[in-house]
Amino acid sequence: MTKPNPEAEKAARRRNGSADILGPNSEIGRKLKQYYDDLVSEEIPDRFSQLLRQLEQTEPAQKKG
Amino acid sequence: MAVSPEFKQDLLGTIPNLRAFAVSLTQNADKADDLVQETLVKAWDKHESFQMGTNLKAWLFTILRNEFYSQMRKRGREVQDSDGIMTERMAVHPSQHGLLDLKDFRWALEQLPQDQREAIILIGASGFSYEEAAEICGCAVGTIKSRVSRARNRLQEILKISGEADYGPDAISAQVMGSSAA
Repeated sequence: MTKPNPEAEKAARRRNGSADILGPNSEIGRKLKQYYDDLVSEEIPDRFSQLLRQLEQTEPAQKKG
Repeated sequence: MAVSPEFKQDLLGTIPNLRAFAVSLTQNADKADDLVQETLVKAWDKHESFQMGTNLKAWLFTILRNEFYSQMRKRGREVQDSDGIMTERMAVHPSQHGLLDLKDFRWALEQLPQDQREAIILIGASGFSYEEAAEICGCAVGTIKSRVSRARNRLQEILKISGEADYGPDAISAQVMGSSAA
């Protein structure tokens, strides 16, 4: 889960071109990914799947306001 | 039209990324989760305006970001309340020795202006292209580029990392000229 996806990273770099300033040779770039990946790999609180379940049960036509 | 199970599944799959982006914007886990919740409700309501096959993540990031700024505008001065927290943070200086600690990095990131922080997160961490980031932020590609570059320079400055890619004249002249070079 926390493992970076090399393919996606490669693709991102291709698209970005000059994003190399944040590439693997950049300490800022590495820290940025570490910071973000830490957040991404956090467990998702139940409230979100509950919310989606609630939304699903609400008929679109009956929405208030 | 009812929301398709695929759409719901894709929404669920994007939540970790939405939360990470929301934390980067709000700097606060509780506020971030409220923001993600608002985003999901909005996305659900206007799911018909999403074009299947286009980038759902970018679409959701746009909604989240708009929601964040509209909340900021509504709250207005309330945001200034964070001034106290800011001062407190300023007093805690990152360790200037050894390897860069993630806590120091987080601290440095918080010192960035909002527009620079979101730009460097979108490009350097969320994996968007400059074009996508520009669309999410509703600005020109060149603006994103310059924000990313300024953000990186500012982070290096705060964290006292000398130019990494260039060991040449730049790093030296930056030392010689001190802050006037920045």
